[in-house]
Formats: sequence, structure tokens, C-alpha cells
Amino acid sequence: MRVSTIQSKLKKIFIILFWISIWGIISLIINREIYLPSPYSTLKALYKLLFLQETYTTILFSSYRTVFGFILSCFLGILFGYFCGISRFLYDLFNPLINIMRTVPVMSIIIIALMWFKDTNVPIFVAFLMCFPIVWTNTVMGIKNADTKLLEMCKLYNINKFRIIKSVYFYSALPYIKAGMISALGIGWKVTSAAEVLSLPKYSIGRFLYDSKVYLEIPDLFAWTIIIVMLSFMFEKFLKTIFKLGGYDD
Amino acid sequence: MIELKNISKNFDDLQLLKDFNIGFKKNEISCLFGPSGVGKTTIANIVAKLVSVESGSISGIENSLYSYVFQEPRLLEWYSVYDNIDFVLKDLYDLKERKKIISSYIDMVELREYKDYKPKTLSGGMAQRVSLARAFAYPSDILIMDEPFKGLDMKLKQEMILSFQKLWQESNRTVIFITHDIDEAILLSDTIFIIKNRPAEIIKTINKQTYSNFDDIKKILLTY
Repeated sequence: MRVSTIQSKLKKIFIILFWISIWGIISLIINREIYLPSPYSTLKALYKLLFLQETYTTILFSSYRTVFGFILSCFLGILFGYFCGISRFLYDLFNPLINIMRTVPVMSIIIIALMWFKDTNVPIFVAFLMCFPIVWTNTVMGIKNADTKLLEMCKLYNINKFRIIKSVYFYSALPYIKAGMISALGIGWKVTSAAEVLSLPKYSIGRFLYDSKVYLEIPDLFAWTIIIVMLSFMFEKFLKTIFKLGGYDD
Repeated sequence: MIELKNISKNFDDLQLLKDFNIGFKKNEISCLFGPSGVGKTTIANIVAKLVSVESGSISGIENSLYSYVFQEPRLLEWYSVYDNIDFVLKDLYDLKERKKIISSYIDMVELREYKDYKPKTLSGGMAQRVSLARAFAYPSDILIMDEPFKGLDMKLKQEMILSFQKLWQESNRTVIFITHDIDEAILLSDTIFIIKNRPAEIIKTINKQTYSNFDDIKKILLTY
């Protein structure tokens, strides 16, 4: 058991090193930091950022925006998804709106949001609009996939409607909701950063991404990108841990 | 007496029942015996009000409570054995009373050590026994069992049959029992309806009391 975990760790390290060296080789061939910075200069930029207090404030504020938009979309997505899953009429009513939300380009939403909101709220709103359809769709799908045989059993034993929702629909939809939430969180990070680039709130990763473009500090761009990826990864891990602790796991 | 009169039921183009009549005596075990697909489950589901009919009338089920042992256990996988039974009793009794009822029925199907287990960790036979305990724990007037022993091996089947007999002796409910197994039919039922054809017809009604020898019944059933 121990030997195999060490082996799998070594394998992971090898895979990471492999891709970093590919990146290094390509950057050597191109040999222009402005097109593709080397792993070394990226790491140097990252290292420098780690010692700036502003970095942490920025991470905190960007995380707040992502998480706020994410939670809002989960709360409303699950709530509306539930009712739309149970009622055919509500589903037909909401489905066109959700479809539009799903297909509208992020940029259009960001630009219109810039008209409506204060800079710091734009990313939250955009993250919400992007994540909500995912959570909604998964919730609806989960509810609709509730086992008709179990529902028949409930009908036979005269189980009241509220308890059917709580004990059958909720648990049937749970795996779908969890999957939806995990993909929504990942998209939340991407969209929040994009919206920040255009709305430029004072403390935001997006502002740094924008600045690195303006000042042509491409290693900084790469360093911040790595930070976003790491954050997204950490939050996903955290969410999965919460799900695991939540008990019922399929 | 529960009576179905002139019942007709179609599924799409398929006419399963046409002017079908049948009567189930109260507090007896009636068996619907016949090949698969003949409409036995549909007849039981009409009694249980799970399916609607095109025409005909049903009497003797006013204000009845039902319980049902389905072909599959139909348990909530996210709940323990105990909570699965609790689930159907919650609207009827308070907590203290439920505890008493549930543990007595869990004991009767010999699953005491497993009461906190989730259905997925149980064998098929054990899960079906939970479904049986749930059906009996619920204070029903009418109990329907749709091939409850299907897919169980000999030993489990015997266990289930023993559990059933023990539970039934506690409270004689009106039981509608569906099977196409001759031995089960003879062993458990008071009245056997042999059902065949499409639309379904009762070919013969056997009242067990009128026969002194089980082998005679078996001979009759074997000819169908």
C-alpha cells in the first residue's frame, strides 16, 4: 500500500515535470518572453507576488466575488430547479429564459452589467448568470430522474407531498446537483476573472491581468493565471470535501 | 369482499382487461396465478388505485389503507433499514410508538443486527424482507404481494415464506398474492384464481378448503 502511494506520487511529479519541460523547450525555441515566458521567469514573477501584501488582499476579494456569485447561483438554481423539475408548466415557462442565458456570450453580459452595476458587483452578477443555468439544469435533470417506482411506492403508502420532496426528490437529485455545483464553481472562477478584466475593481485578479497586458509583463500574466488555476482547484477540493462529509455518497 | 365489476383496461393498443370480474374475500389470501404478461399486476394495481380503468367499478375498498410488496424491494437507498420503515409510518404514529412497531417488525424478519444498514449493503433477500416488514408494519387493510419471492434462491425463499406466515398470523389482512410458481400458490393461498388469455380471463377458481390433498391442486394447476 505505502509503496504504491509513493509510486503514484512519483508518477504525478513526473507528469508535472514532463509538461513543464515541454513548456520550457517551446519557450526556448520561441525565445521571446512577450509571446511565451519561460517557466523560470513565470516562477520568478510568482515568487515576487507571494511577498506582496496586495496579492493576498486581491485573492481575498476575487474569491469573495466568485464565491458570492457561486452561492447565489446555487441557492436560486436549486430552488428554481426543484420547482421546475416537479412542475411541467414552470419548466416550460423557465426553459426558454435559461436557454438564452446559456447561449448569450459572456462578453455581452459583462458589458451590459457594466452599465447596470458598480465595478465590484459586475463580476458577481456575471458569475451568477453563468453558473445559474448549470445548477438549474442539473437540478431539473435530477428531479426528473427520480425513480418512478419509488414515487409509486410513496403514493401507495399515502406519503404526504412535502415528505416526498424531502425524502425522495431531494436525494435523487443530489448527485446531479453536486456535479452541477462542481462544474459551476470552475466556470465561476473563469467568468469572474474575465468580468474583472473589464470592470477593473480596485482589488481584483482581473485588474492585475489587465495591467500585465498594458505593461507587457507577460510573466505576471502567467503567474496570476497559475494563481487562478490553483484557487479554482483548491475551492473544488474544498467543495468535494464538504460533499464527502455530508454523509450520503453514491 | 373486494369486487371488481366489468373492468376494462387498455395499454395503448393492447386490451389487457375486458369486462373483467373478480372478487377477493376479506382477511384471506387470494392468489392470482398465471403466466407473465397476462395482467396480474394490472389487476392488483387497479385494486390499489395505482392505475385507472377505462370502465367498470370497484367496491369494498372504501377508506382502505394499502401496503405492497413489489417485485423489487423499492427501498430508499439513502435511508437505513430502520428509516425506510419509519418513512411510511411517520404520518401515522408518534415517535415512541413508531420505535416499538418498527423494532418488533424488524425482529420478525430477523434483521435486528442490520437495522442501521443501508439497503445497498444488504443481499437481495434481506432487502426484500425489509420491504415485507415495511408492508406489515404499515396498518393496511389490504396487502398486495407481486411475486415477492422472485429471484430468490431456495433458502431465502423459504426464509421469506416463513417470515410472511409469521407476520400474517399476527394480523389477518386481505392479501392479494401474485405468482406463477405452483408451490408458492398452493402453500400460501386460500383461493387461487388461474388467469390466462388476452384479454385476461379467470379460467378456474380453486378454493383450497374444498381439497383434502395438495397434490390434487397441484395436478390441476399443472394442466394450465
